[in-house]
Amino acid sequence: MSNREGEPKAPERQYGAHHKLIGKNYETADLYAKVTGKAKFAEDFRAEGMLFCKLLLSPMPHARVTRIDASKALAMPGVKAILTADDLPAPADSIDDNGKVVKASPWNERGLTMEPVYPGEPILAVAAVDELTAAEAIEKIHIEFHPLPFVLDPLESLRPGGPNPRTEGNIWSSPEHHGPPQVTALKWTEADFAEAKEDRLPMGEAPNTWTFGDIDAGFKNAALVLDETFITPDTSHQTLETRSALAYWQNGKVFVHTGTQSTQQTVPQIAEWLNIDASKVVLISEYTGGGFGSKVTAGVSLVIPALLSRKANAPVMMRVSREEETFIGRARPNFIGRMKVGFSREGRITAIDMFTICNNGPYEEQGDGGTSGYIVSLLYQPLAMRWRGVTVLTNTPPRGPQSSPGGMQGITIIEPIISKAARKLGIDQVAIRRINCPEGKAELGAGEAGKREHAASAFLKEALNRGAEQFKWHERVANRPKRIGSKVRGVGVSLSCFVGGSTGFDGLLLIKPDGRIVFQSGIGNLGTESVIDVHRVGAEILGVPWEKCDVVWGNTAKNLPFTCITGGSQTTHAMTRAAHATAMEARKRLQEIAAKTLGGKPEDYDVANERVFRKGGGTGMTLAQAAQRAIQLGGIYDGHEANGEVNAVTKASVAALAGQGLVAAARDNYGGDGNTFSYVASFAEVEVDVETGVYHLTDFLAYADVGTVIHPRSLGGQLLGRSILGIGHAIGQKWVYDPHYGALLSRRFYQNKPPTILDVPVNMQWAALDIPDPETPVGARGVGEPPVGGGCASVLNALSDALGDDVFRRAPVNADTILTSLEAGRPMQHPLLAYI
Amino acid sequence: MAVIRDVMPAFELLQPNSVADAQKLLEQHGPDAWILAGGLDSFDWLKDRIKKPKVVIELSGIEELKGVRATGDGIEIGAMTTLTEVVTNPVIKQKYGLLAQSAELVASPQIRNQGTIGGNVSQDARCWYYRAGWPCYRAGGNICYADTPVGRNREHAILHADRCVAVNPSDSAPALIALDAKFVIRTSKGERLVDAEDYFIGPEIDITRLTSLQPGELLTAIRIPSTWAGAKFYFEKVMDRNVWDFALLNVASAMVVADGKIVRIRIAVNGAAARPLRLKEVEDAVRGQAPNAATGEMAGKLAVQGAVPLQFNAYKIPLMRNLVKRAISGVREATWAS
Amino acid sequence: MIAGGVAVSSASYLFRASTVQGQTSAASVAERLITINVNGQQRRVDVLKSETLAWTLRYKLGLTGTKLGCDRAECGSCTVLIDDVPHYSCSVLTHTVRGKKVLTIEGLANADGTLHPVQQGIIEEQGFQCAFCMPGFIMSAVAFLKTNPNPTRSELAHGLSGNLCRCQDYDKILTALMRGAEIMRGANRV
Repeated sequence: MSNREGEPKAPERQYGAHHKLIGKNYETADLYAKVTGKAKFAEDFRAEGMLFCKLLLSPMPHARVTRIDASKALAMPGVKAILTADDLPAPADSIDDNGKVVKASPWNERGLTMEPVYPGEPILAVAAVDELTAAEAIEKIHIEFHPLPFVLDPLESLRPGGPNPRTEGNIWSSPEHHGPPQVTALKWTEADFAEAKEDRLPMGEAPNTWTFGDIDAGFKNAALVLDETFITPDTSHQTLETRSALAYWQNGKVFVHTGTQSTQQTVPQIAEWLNIDASKVVLISEYTGGGFGSKVTAGVSLVIPALLSRKANAPVMMRVSREEETFIGRARPNFIGRMKVGFSREGRITAIDMFTICNNGPYEEQGDGGTSGYIVSLLYQPLAMRWRGVTVLTNTPPRGPQSSPGGMQGITIIEPIISKAARKLGIDQVAIRRINCPEGKAELGAGEAGKREHAASAFLKEALNRGAEQFKWHERVANRPKRIGSKVRGVGVSLSCFVGGSTGFDGLLLIKPDGRIVFQSGIGNLGTESVIDVHRVGAEILGVPWEKCDVVWGNTAKNLPFTCITGGSQTTHAMTRAAHATAMEARKRLQEIAAKTLGGKPEDYDVANERVFRKGGGTGMTLAQAAQRAIQLGGIYDGHEANGEVNAVTKASVAALAGQGLVAAARDNYGGDGNTFSYVASFAEVEVDVETGVYHLTDFLAYADVGTVIHPRSLGGQLLGRSILGIGHAIGQKWVYDPHYGALLSRRFYQNKPPTILDVPVNMQWAALDIPDPETPVGARGVGEPPVGGGCASVLNALSDALGDDVFRRAPVNADTILTSLEAGRPMQHPLLAYI
Repeated sequence: MAVIRDVMPAFELLQPNSVADAQKLLEQHGPDAWILAGGLDSFDWLKDRIKKPKVVIELSGIEELKGVRATGDGIEIGAMTTLTEVVTNPVIKQKYGLLAQSAELVASPQIRNQGTIGGNVSQDARCWYYRAGWPCYRAGGNICYADTPVGRNREHAILHADRCVAVNPSDSAPALIALDAKFVIRTSKGERLVDAEDYFIGPEIDITRLTSLQPGELLTAIRIPSTWAGAKFYFEKVMDRNVWDFALLNVASAMVVADGKIVRIRIAVNGAAARPLRLKEVEDAVRGQAPNAATGEMAGKLAVQGAVPLQFNAYKIPLMRNLVKRAISGVREATWAS
Repeated sequence: MIAGGVAVSSASYLFRASTVQGQTSAASVAERLITINVNGQQRRVDVLKSETLAWTLRYKLGLTGTKLGCDRAECGSCTVLIDDVPHYSCSVLTHTVRGKKVLTIEGLANADGTLHPVQQGIIEEQGFQCAFCMPGFIMSAVAFLKTNPNPTRSELAHGLSGNLCRCQDYDKILTALMRGAEIMRGANRV
């Protein structure tokens, strides 16, 4: 297959030239436990008297439960309790980040329901002494449904007279005065649907839209205008660890063991779901088997064992099966997208008119639609752009943000258009992207009152150029012939980006009387390693060897600070800032302690090599001594008083640590100009067998602009791992539904096709610019999502390079698509049909 | 009765040590009994709680069902021989490499370590409606969910559809047909031998099963005659992923060429119909011809005559055509200068 | 009161016989006490006839390193070695492994805590991400490298092809396990 098969791995590049710890590889504190099998995930825990619960799922896409007779189940001696929607607490109002009350929505997902709105929705749960009893109990339950109208395909719902997925309607809309979103009905006209006959996306009324510039002028002045329709697949997140959860109550508190991406931030979420006070919630989650956006703050299904255990007065383990995870485990919304793009003779994009239908599933509104336009506006810098979108509810499993939500879809829709334009205009594929690439404080979105937002920084052009060089792009393009026998080769390039940062969170550390530093980490441990990596910043600033540092994570009873969610690729950015602020706070306190103890002013002292000492040499104290002194001094030094800026959560954790040493807490107040994004230039090569339609990905490179590199190996893992997540959308992942019965057919891995180790090249490449982002003290930006769009689109672009423009118009692309199109000489994929 | 698709129901497990004992138990328990070989097909039905046998008769303790041994003319492979053993057996690799090639592409290493050759040829259809427990023809009902204008039938049959459009999923089956294997079946009355191609049946014979194995019968061995030992073999499996995937289509052929002409040939395809198809007309048409591109193309076109595409599986027609062509005339290697 | 990680007594988890007859399997749902060899130790445990090895390991022997990712022989998270051969333990009936040697992730490191070369290679290369798939990959690699001690990356990938990683860390996994193979060759481990 690949030329690289026999090759050993290329030697690793070195990063962190000017740093001691930042940019260097090291062994993370969780690795030993993982490698010995000692690391405990949710379903690995056991409790005395633990019960097991199993779920009764809806067989129908939309129905009302009219009767439940569980008497035979309850009569079984091993059955201890049953939970239905009637047992759920009333939905709780929540408080947003500005302290404003957000009223509970009557349409949100609650975990159990008497009106299932998707096939596979849990209706009730049974807790029994063992799983076998629980399963048999489920089968003894008599349940009756009244079927309700259902719809799987957003377009079908938008048709005049089309069915609605919920009684109230089929779209989310925000009322005039920015109240909470409502479910209402939207139908298009027959005239709108005339476009569908031409295999083009109908574009009726769009409740959401923004514009900047003059797109009509942009199209008029264009040398080439392309109008393309493209569908992206629904893909389940399919974390390898399902959202199993163990829950039990002790002394009025609920203890929950479950996977989550964001340890600290999951506590207020659980409190909201259970409608109890956050102080009554303890989350234990040291290891999570993947998230990808599906477990940003765990999953609402955890209310089931939590409430069952309260009802049955025993711990309850809910082991979520793989098939159940396919239903309740979230998925990326598929898009039906249409874009009209105008190009100048040189390939510069003069105008984009973008229309997206986002398949929302039945519950909470997904933001993928708006984000897709936003990302496209940044990544390709169109001179004028209009985005229109409608987010349509359907009776299919609930969606959730999946790595680059909206970004991946937007990039996947526009990139094939750019490739087609390059071919028509006779421009090199890398060149056409270079000319449209964002730079510096690149603008994006439409903004308000003509003032557009801008990026904090962008060095993507550099990544594109270096990537093209490393990938030997021009050699590959020049070294045709493309075809030998039945095999054809193609190369593809794609730009990619996504948000990469946030601000305003807290850090918390303790210098112990023995001189060790303990970093309190509220970040989740889902495999990104940011939970530990960000704290290298603190150790470096304080001049302490890593061996003298400990990180506490994974248990909210262990005094964690107010932390960002581990999602949206923000963690490395947000929490290196918080770590920096906290280490600087600790420095300041060390200087003060030294001055108080040894004389002089704080600014006379420096901190390095585990000491605080007079600049230029002279007296000093070890960190251990300083910590002991902090306890003597009390107040702000040992946690008896807290830094006034930090969040209430952090304050409570500070108070709990009081007296244990030098306690330093700080809020990231660093500010910064512009929104933080990270960028990737993605390169792919494929080899297609035109007789069978089978193709292989033979080479791949992700060249990243993610700011300062903190931990090269975990960065490489994110760059290639998330590239493959994107690649999966191109090479085979999807849902298949039977439209007549509204039933999921692709239940199993071999049916929904997540990429295997043999579906990607054995030697994939990555590199990072390591240029610091100027708007953040450590220079580091976040990374998980930026590679995804490029992973998918670079493969699609390689395929069209190999096969031409008349083969596919939706993703994924497999042998069936390729063969039928090549046979017919024109694209044969159903352009608008859902779930095939 | 509500449905749950998780937690294997309890069953009585019987673990006989000999074929004779297994036979007795089968007779004793009749329709209550389920035969367990490697389990990779069975556990899907059991864990989904679609099938709930009272008694499971598992054969892993029966030594006489395992292993590859020489016979007077060829080899005999015990039905409980794992696929890994088939792949790595020196005699099979050396003389009957077609079988090793096909077995090596089954599923994944762990499955091949446990899955048996007998199980691989006896496995049930993978139509996703049928596997989800829908009451279709194959399940004893009166309807096919896949063969409708909107049914999802991308992986289904293009030939010999008869109410049911599911396909046979086995990779080793077409190889065994090409090797002219005989299947040894033990019945209460003794032993019977069945030609490989007759082991598999279509819906016109019995729509509820893919093989001719009757209740109470046990597949004990597969015999491969020396007829095709060392012949020119071709096997290709087309699937969506590069591992752990069922074939969209596969082709297996054994060919003897002398003086530039095809002297004799056996060729079979699976994934096109409810049973693996031996392509007799193609064999007759190419015998005596040179195994070149022209012959291959002719053979491919002949192979797909009468194929009827469903809504989503029309690609199987050019695919089958091309696979048959390649079995005859080969594939040109592509080495790219880089 | 968590009994986390401790080998639990089977009494806590006895699957009780269903006393209600019906269309469900009316088979006697009794456990049988059997002895199985796990990680070099003879373990006596009550096991249902229909119980899988993955379940017995995780719920009756306190060996939770072997994971349930799909329970359908598709993902490899449950891979253990049975007589040195990798199997999906979710699809092995415990009653069929009497008389065989079962090796799980917990049985790899030495008694003094020093790691198996494959584990060491992962430490050195920071292999894997969320690590839910890791024990399964390690067991597949340990078995593969015994018979193929000096593979190319491609050969190793084929040996590991029955293991799925959803973080899709395949590239770094291969690097880590190739390093493990290197250490294994150097250490001359049998």
